Amino acid sequence: MRPALRFAMFLCLLLALDGALFLDGLARRKAQDAALVKLEVAASGLGLTDLAVATEARYTRHPAVSDPVAPFMDHPGAIEHFPTGAFWLPPQR
Amino acid sequence: MARYNLEKQLNILEYALSSLWRRRMKSLSVLLVFGAVIFLLASFQMVTQALSDKARQVLAHTPEITLQKMSAGRQEGIPLAYRDKLAGIFGIRRVVPRIWGYYFDEVRLANYTVMGMAVDEMPEGARLDTALARGTMPGPAEQGRAVIGSSITNALDLAGRDTFSLFRPDLSLKSFVVIGEFSRDTDILTNDLIVMNLADARDLFGIPGGLVSDLCVYVANPTEIETIAKKISDALPSVRVLTRPQIQKTYQAVFGWRSGFGSICLLSALAAFVILAWDKASGLSPEERREIAILKVLGWETRDILAVRFWESVIVSGLACIIGMTAAYVHVVYGAASLFRPVLMGWSVLKPDLHLLPRLAGGDILLILAFTVIPYLAATVIPAWRSATVPADSALGG
Repeated sequence: MRPALRFAMFLCLLLALDGALFLDGLARRKAQDAALVKLEVAASGLGLTDLAVATEARYTRHPAVSDPVAPFMDHPGAIEHFPTGAFWLPPQR
Repeated sequence: MARYNLEKQLNILEYALSSLWRRRMKSLSVLLVFGAVIFLLASFQMVTQALSDKARQVLAHTPEITLQKMSAGRQEGIPLAYRDKLAGIFGIRRVVPRIWGYYFDEVRLANYTVMGMAVDEMPEGARLDTALARGTMPGPAEQGRAVIGSSITNALDLAGRDTFSLFRPDLSLKSFVVIGEFSRDTDILTNDLIVMNLADARDLFGIPGGLVSDLCVYVANPTEIETIAKKISDALPSVRVLTRPQIQKTYQAVFGWRSGFGSICLLSALAAFVILAWDKASGLSPEERREIAILKVLGWETRDILAVRFWESVIVSGLACIIGMTAAYVHVVYGAASLFRPVLMGWSVLKPDLHLLPRLAGGDILLILAFTVIPYLAATVIPAWRSATVPADSALGG
């Protein structure tokens, strides 16, 4: 078998895997769209302003209603020490 | 002519594949390192993009204006009497007071977000029961009732019972009966929530009567949000006024390459790439130079040698790109971004099911290609061109 043919077959295998992931992604998207209605009701009914991803620090739990200086407000000279502070940028206002 | 060119390119491709196979350990190691770099970049891009996407969709329903009282740079209770001052501003439809805050559970080291409000006054408040997996929301007259997020059920070990107690500031206990639990589908918003009515939240936090945490303001015409926000700022100078567009803007900027972790991902990728490019640009190995010289002696032209190097680079970088991006997608969607969770959630005890599903747009793929594949092509073809232009006899040592 020619090397180019072997390579083409390997490439096709990878693309078939990606195709399967794409099809599964479409099914997941449909399920997420159905769940989105519940999320919209929760956000609207409770007046939620933030995603509940990181619950360790108030400024990464509620960045939208926190000041950029909040990580340093615990005491004079306080340093930001929570791990999530490395992932979340301070809010821009 | 076209058929001849196609046949020639196919032969060159086959030669490039054979050449990569001959140096398979080196090719495989470059492929793995390159794939890992792309995996890192693509995973970060997909996680941040999926989170921003989710925030954009759900935070379109936040209160139109949120008012918080500030004192000495910190948020403090806002007087309920401020509602009277807002009554004179034309265009305000409704003002809903809320009491909310954090409760740190010292036994489980978990932070809960406690919210108290009259849900029937909120927009969609009457439909909140549809966001629950079981039960109903507490009514305004129902004292000591709460609805909790799904992680709190596990944290408080409420599988076989429906009561729990929290400490007031004076360390006396306040008991609650769980009358509902939020659906896991809403985990990304409600995972750590304990929702109760206003009087219970006031009692739990010991907040004096006449004060609340914030006021949610709803306007009659959404196009007037900014105008009304400005009027509120003028009427209540000590109040921080947050508008819905500001909150949405925050979430479009809060995840990005400028964050500490994002910068580390980007810099590691750049460092790995610079090392790779330095290795390539510092010249070909004596074996590779001899191979090029032999090919030239056999009648290959410089452009044919460049084509071989180009195809080699396309194969390695293209495969690394496909493998790296596929692995990143699997990591984010099926592995729930498990490698990033220690940084994304830190020391959080309550961890939501994120159900991340990135939308891979052409722009995102192009961004990753521009950072990785295109510079790699340049870094490999240029030294090959320098080597291919050297006379064959000198390369062979003649």
